[in-house]
Amino acid sequence: MGQKFEDIVVSTVKTQEDGKELMEKLIAVAQPSSVFSTPIIAGDYTLITASEVSAGVGFGFGMGGGTMVGPPETEAESADPDEAEATAEGGSGFGGGGGGGGFSMGRPVAVISIGPAGVRVEPVRDVTKVAVAFLTVAGSMLLMLSKMRRISRF
Amino acid sequence: MDRSNDKIRWQTLTGNPLQVGDVRVTPQSQALTLCWPNGGLVWNRPVAILVEHQGQVERIPIVDVTRVVQLSLLGLSALLGIIALALTVRERRS
Repeated sequence: MGQKFEDIVVSTVKTQEDGKELMEKLIAVAQPSSVFSTPIIAGDYTLITASEVSAGVGFGFGMGGGTMVGPPETEAESADPDEAEATAEGGSGFGGGGGGGGFSMGRPVAVISIGPAGVRVEPVRDVTKVAVAFLTVAGSMLLMLSKMRRISRF
Repeated sequence: MDRSNDKIRWQTLTGNPLQVGDVRVTPQSQALTLCWPNGGLVWNRPVAILVEHQGQVERIPIVDVTRVVQLSLLGLSALLGIIALALTVRERRS
């Protein structure tokens, strides 16, 4: 049982170290280099894309334990030296686990062009997003107005 | 500009400048970083570029047109909703 406990602690510590490394990588996203692309040279023009970037991560670890009091109920339990020792001492059990998740998202915002005419910032217009936002707003407004008309009738 | 504590950081960061001919372009971004013991969140967006040409420095802001339109629509719907609610309440009272 002592070896199992040690194994769980070692794996938990390693997982925590992995989590720490993941956090450091996440913090690295908060740099201008993750928002502005490497320059692209096309003829006389140099283009740089600017994007909005977001990322998130979460993780957790857990360890549990329990006790069991009493003599071994079966021969198999008494044959297992770890179980016999645990039972003789009053019994104990351990468990460990961990999990995590994350997301990342990027969206182009503008294109910077550097050329003979100078430096220009061309915004990226996402017509789909605008249309979806407009339809959502229009739909919710109609729904609200219809509900208000019903209320005003009563 | 840097407003920060251990858990929340709001920073304006300047990137590596880029030299193109006689023009020097320096990007700027803003990043919001949230940290908690078992996770974190980062939101990073471009805000401007600094253009240096013949000794003059010009700051060109980067406007997120899509976001502006989305927020405008949201604000307009909220405003119309408040107006409609106020008119309904007024009608019920009278």
